[in-house]
Amino acid sequence: MALIAVSGHPGCRFEEVARISAQRLGFELLTQSRLRVLTDQEFGAERQIPDKAYPSLVTSILARLATEAHVVYCAVGGELQARHFGGMLRAHVVAPENIRVGNLMLDNRLERAAARQLLLELETQARVERKAKFGKTKATADLFDLVLNAESLTTEQMATLIETTVATTGLKERGYLSTAAEAQLQFQMRLKLARFGIVPPGHVTLRQKMFAHQSEEMFANLLDFYRIAWEYEPRSFPVQYDADGAVLESFTPDFYLQEFDLYVELTTMKQSLVTRKNRKVRLLRQLYPHLNIQVFYQKDFENLIFKYGLVERPVEA
Amino acid sequence: MAPPGLERILFTEEQIDQRIRELGAQISRDYHGKTLKLVGVLKGSIFFLTALARHIDIPLKVDFLGISSFSNKTGAPGVVRIAKDLDESIEDEDVLLVEDIVDTGFTLRYLLQTLAGRAPNSLSVCTFLDRNSRRIVQVPVDYRCFEIPDRFVVGFGLDYNQLYRNLGYVAVMKPDKGAVQH
Repeated sequence: MALIAVSGHPGCRFEEVARISAQRLGFELLTQSRLRVLTDQEFGAERQIPDKAYPSLVTSILARLATEAHVVYCAVGGELQARHFGGMLRAHVVAPENIRVGNLMLDNRLERAAARQLLLELETQARVERKAKFGKTKATADLFDLVLNAESLTTEQMATLIETTVATTGLKERGYLSTAAEAQLQFQMRLKLARFGIVPPGHVTLRQKMFAHQSEEMFANLLDFYRIAWEYEPRSFPVQYDADGAVLESFTPDFYLQEFDLYVELTTMKQSLVTRKNRKVRLLRQLYPHLNIQVFYQKDFENLIFKYGLVERPVEA
Repeated sequence: MAPPGLERILFTEEQIDQRIRELGAQISRDYHGKTLKLVGVLKGSIFFLTALARHIDIPLKVDFLGISSFSNKTGAPGVVRIAKDLDESIEDEDVLLVEDIVDTGFTLRYLLQTLAGRAPNSLSVCTFLDRNSRRIVQVPVDYRCFEIPDRFVVGFGLDYNQLYRNLGYVAVMKPDKGAVQH
């Protein structure tokens, strides 16, 4: 199997490089947020994972996924996790301070001085996290196969370099992780996790990106074009229970945009079904007031795709 | 008389002129004592930028950039990129990015990310039209001429199939008949 570990300095936007690489290579993207979802699914959202158990837990999940797909892994310490797997490529994105401060200025609406201060805090936080989970404060260059500088390379160019390296080293031609190899890895991880009282995962599966509606695929393409990370139907929210507390009805928003902590629902069905969906959204907002969700109704969405040249004529707004 | 294909005029030439004068005065006050660099996003913003620049009475520089456009028709939309870059550096400059319209926020987010990495002293946004109802990505808009409803509009730089940019006013397209001419 191929495991591409993409990491970088805070403020470098290495997540974007990982996403574009995964998209181009047709690999599964495993980000920190998706890892959290998988961990919650396997161990329950309430379980606290001790820092020292973290590497074993990630390896266990990666091993399971690697039997079904090649993976681009984008989270702290990815280069260290990768050593457990035969076909690995470790890429690290760096950039001068001004580039990273600029990114933080935008992301957090900060003046330059405040952004610089934030960068210092993020760097400290990354060091602390790395130390707690992996026993090291720094990722030195010798831990990586590729070190890419975002000052002179665009994210697309960096993704191209990763793609080229994958082709040159024949990583893509490797088969997925064999069941025997996975079993061996899971056994080792199980022993380590048992020390922390953690039951190892048994049924992590990949969600194929099969869209229920063509408009969803168009929207996903639009997000890809603007390099916005998304997840398709990552979570269902119960909106109605029976007297015994069993879930009667759930709502699964179409997209989750991690960077903005925003769920997006595309309502492009016929009007008779829109009313039902409106009711669900209303319930969702009542039950989960902290949830940030935006609904795109058919007319909104048609205008949007018209603007981007996806339909031939303007439509009623 | 409005060309065929247009439903109604949303903002007249007089309303646009008046509002741009107000905005120019506000920007002149906010950037007093500084040299401002207006960065226009091709092609839609050029009409607004030139009108705005004439009502700003502080030292001013102008530059332009353009980005690739999204099309799903080929089946491989790729990713957004700078198609025409700025002619000069913006390092240590007070930059005001000038847009024709902000709706989803996708384009503006990309542009801000790109420009912020070039070490400007400050970076703000001025848009002719703001269709806030369509916003997906929250982006900062510091100056806006008009907020508009969720309708397809043309004129004063905004186009339909590259036409109508030269109208002195902003008009709402007819939902169906707009495409007949093309």
